[in-house]
Amino acid sequence: MAQLVGPLRKELADSLSSCRVLVVGAGGIGCELLKNLVLAGFKNIEVIDLDTIDVSNLNRQFLFQKKHVGKSKAQVAKESVLRFCPSANITAYHDSIMNPDYNVEFFRNFQLVMNALDNRAARNHVNRMCLAADIPLIESGTAGYLGQVTVIKKGQTECYECQPKPTQKTFPGCTIRNTPSEPIHCIVWAKYLFNELKTERGCLFGEEDADQEVSPDTADPEAAWNPADAAARATASDQDGDIKRVSTKEWARSTGYDPVKLFNKLFKDDIMYLLTMDKLWKKRKAPLPLDWTEIQQIGEEACGTGLKDQHVLGVQGYAQLFRRSVETLRSQLIEKGEGAELVWDKDDPPAMDFVTAAANLRMNVFSMNMKSRFDVKSMAGNIIPAIATTNAVIAGLIVLEALKILNSDFDQCRTIFLNKQPNPRKKLLVPCALDHPNPNCYVCTSKPEVTVKLNVHKTIVQALQDKILKEKFGMVAPDVQIEDGKGTILISSEEGETEANNNKFLSDFGIRNGSRLQVDDFLQDYTLLVNVIHSEELEKDVEFEVVGDAPDKAPAPSAPEEEKNIANGNKDSAQPSTSSKAAEDDDVLLVDSDEEPSSSTMEASPESSNRKRKHCDADTDDAASKRKRLDQQPADDDDDVIALD
Amino acid sequence: PVERKKQSNIISEEEAAQYDRQIRLWGLDAQKRLRGSRVLLVGLRGLGAEVAKNLILAGVKGLTLLDHEQVTEESRRAQFLIPVDADGQNQAQASLDRAQLLNPMVEVKADTDAVGSKPDDFFFQFDAVCLTRCSKDLMVRVDQLCASRNIKVFCGDVFGYHGYMFSDLGQEHHYVEEKPKVVKGSNEANDGPEAKKPKVDPNETTMVKKTVSFCSFKAALEVDWTNEKAKNNLKRIPVDYFLLQVLLKFRTDKGRDPQPDSFAEDSQLLLQIRDDVLETMGLSSELLPNTFVSYCFSEMAPVCAVVGGVLGQELVKALSQRDAPHRNFFFFDGLKGSGVVDYFGSK
Repeated sequence: MAQLVGPLRKELADSLSSCRVLVVGAGGIGCELLKNLVLAGFKNIEVIDLDTIDVSNLNRQFLFQKKHVGKSKAQVAKESVLRFCPSANITAYHDSIMNPDYNVEFFRNFQLVMNALDNRAARNHVNRMCLAADIPLIESGTAGYLGQVTVIKKGQTECYECQPKPTQKTFPGCTIRNTPSEPIHCIVWAKYLFNELKTERGCLFGEEDADQEVSPDTADPEAAWNPADAAARATASDQDGDIKRVSTKEWARSTGYDPVKLFNKLFKDDIMYLLTMDKLWKKRKAPLPLDWTEIQQIGEEACGTGLKDQHVLGVQGYAQLFRRSVETLRSQLIEKGEGAELVWDKDDPPAMDFVTAAANLRMNVFSMNMKSRFDVKSMAGNIIPAIATTNAVIAGLIVLEALKILNSDFDQCRTIFLNKQPNPRKKLLVPCALDHPNPNCYVCTSKPEVTVKLNVHKTIVQALQDKILKEKFGMVAPDVQIEDGKGTILISSEEGETEANNNKFLSDFGIRNGSRLQVDDFLQDYTLLVNVIHSEELEKDVEFEVVGDAPDKAPAPSAPEEEKNIANGNKDSAQPSTSSKAAEDDDVLLVDSDEEPSSSTMEASPESSNRKRKHCDADTDDAASKRKRLDQQPADDDDDVIALD
Repeated sequence: PVERKKQSNIISEEEAAQYDRQIRLWGLDAQKRLRGSRVLLVGLRGLGAEVAKNLILAGVKGLTLLDHEQVTEESRRAQFLIPVDADGQNQAQASLDRAQLLNPMVEVKADTDAVGSKPDDFFFQFDAVCLTRCSKDLMVRVDQLCASRNIKVFCGDVFGYHGYMFSDLGQEHHYVEEKPKVVKGSNEANDGPEAKKPKVDPNETTMVKKTVSFCSFKAALEVDWTNEKAKNNLKRIPVDYFLLQVLLKFRTDKGRDPQPDSFAEDSQLLLQIRDDVLETMGLSSELLPNTFVSYCFSEMAPVCAVVGGVLGQELVKALSQRDAPHRNFFFFDGLKGSGVVDYFGSK
């Protein structure tokens, strides 16, 4: 009979103590994972995390105590683990995994990599590094009561990017600026407004991000009785700042950020302007402007029990909060001096106060029920609720998958879903067979290729680099060559080399319909061929489209099935992102456990995704040999399909 | 317990900050109930330590760690609360400091007595009791004692790659569930006068009250398999239920769990017990094939984490009276990665 070392066969126990593993992330899943690894007998562990400890982590990241707040997660995690297992050999990195120091050679040091991340950008990156190094990767994610684990192995399974993940839900500009109908629209507006006000720079309207305008959108096609009218209004407003609209920021500066004047502009004047666009209000309830002086007459409401943050104030209360926060932010700006900028942070009280107040005032204007600071913070900060037990279960499953890999039982590896309630087949934990790689994947196939539709006369090189290659296609340091017979270099990852190109249009380089770009990310050992299609008919607010992507779907408004949906219907769960940058978010059940960053963290926002699991395990009939190869899909019905919306 | 749980209505700033991410999940009410709950945890090995961690982090009022055994090298390596120099000390005592540090807002105590020696009224001070590494008879006794007094009873163990959790929340367990509010009337496509009404927040929810009943541990283990109906249902029954019966019998007979040191001898005994147990139930030995013996020795740390996570969350649900509890067994098979909830006993 087999010789056991504890619960394991000796060979397996030996390979555990000699192998080297990398844990990416030392947060909710990471803490639990490190503990499980050392208790299971793993000896050589490296852990990396760029984040520092926050008090809100302490309800689940049990390797940290209150006295550790502000310190490096990776470092403290290592120290805490060593206390109960001093013989473990742990190396901690307080760093970003996307740092070029962690190249393919670095990854090749390990027999196994385990992600414990909370954002898509890092997941994409580690996915590629593990493909390049040909190292098995265990992916995982949790949100609230739900969780998931899966295994990625080059050539044998889907990689993390084989299935397109829906991009972050964004709202059309006119909804934000003219016709909000839900609290989230008002919250997004308030965050944009913050960005409008935060900087002292004397640039024009929306220089930080042209996508974040807050004043009434005169070019709203819905507002015009006839199309020519809309165009005329738009032109009129652009032409002469004197006549129609100046930038909110300039205006604010010119009035010295006077809260009362700001209030009346945003919640009275701008609203009255919106009312003149009467077509918008034919079928919608018209907004009701507020007046500062009138509001002062309204009494403030009494508080109830419960968390202070969970109280919903009256309009007078939010008006006062608006004034106080503007005054505080103004002092912060002054203190910082010329050219200062404030960065929005949900954990910075006046910044959070400002968004709470502004969003609620706007909700009131548009006849929506106002929200507490607690709820606004959830939505504005993309907070995903998190508890210790979900992370504990998932981290346990990760180690069990790791054991299979190290035991060369790869055919036993599974994707496993953790539900909140058992499914009709009584399963709370649902193992599913791993899928084969997608032959059309733009990451893991041998010659990845994509087609992108954009306007070559309106897209600048910087946008190609940042919004398309980095954000959409997950590259960290792209090098771009035009396949024009001359090998013209469009973008170089070396700093400064191609800076002069940044603000030029693609057409300036002869890029047109049918052009091909060769894009390399040498860190990720990844080459992508981009076919360009020129189009002048992209939708408003859409800068580019990837041909073959499913169109963005809005979250389903109807009653969700809780086990299947992470981001719908439950007010506690994640809302569509309110961050200005596009998708740094997460998907499927490999969900973000983190929220909008403080300056030290990477961006992260939660999201939902569509994913049908077609091949979930039936109960094995053959109990006689648990080690039987299960590399064919079980002939099963669809009972265990989990559709995630 | 005899006295009613008092709910303090004041959550401090410190608690609000620390518990923020879980309050956003299960709500303030649930957190307050947790805050008023006292729990007894028996057994501080791998599974016990996981449950302790989960309950302390959740923010119960008090947790008593009860274990009469001494720390050995093996037991120390099985969990993360005991310091390296604590061999020979009492297991509960040795776990106390690190457990307390997990959350200073919880009152954590150590009790070095054997649970079997405790008088009945010892248990009455608790709102919930969680038993690990206990004999079947002991679990039956404690369950009978507690359930009638509305003390929630949980049992759980890990055997190698396998683990289970059992719960008895009494004849009438009340809880609430949060359901989305059904939005009647206008939707966006409707252009009538209703479209001018203020929009109802699609994310609004409502709390629904429910009641559910549980049977005793004794009843759950003494299901009759000889009748036709039971036999027909056999295919849908998780085999782990029978594995549990075998392992509990081993524990009763040998006074311990299967040990790697006596692998050969214990394996033989396990097979024999399997034959006996299944025969008594009127079932075939084939129900539980021989291979099971390779995978039920010692406590696998990751299995403790999974079972401890589910068990911990069930305790939280029961104490906070929020969300539907699993009825009444959870079985985890670490080889397959499957976790199944099933009910055994009178419904």
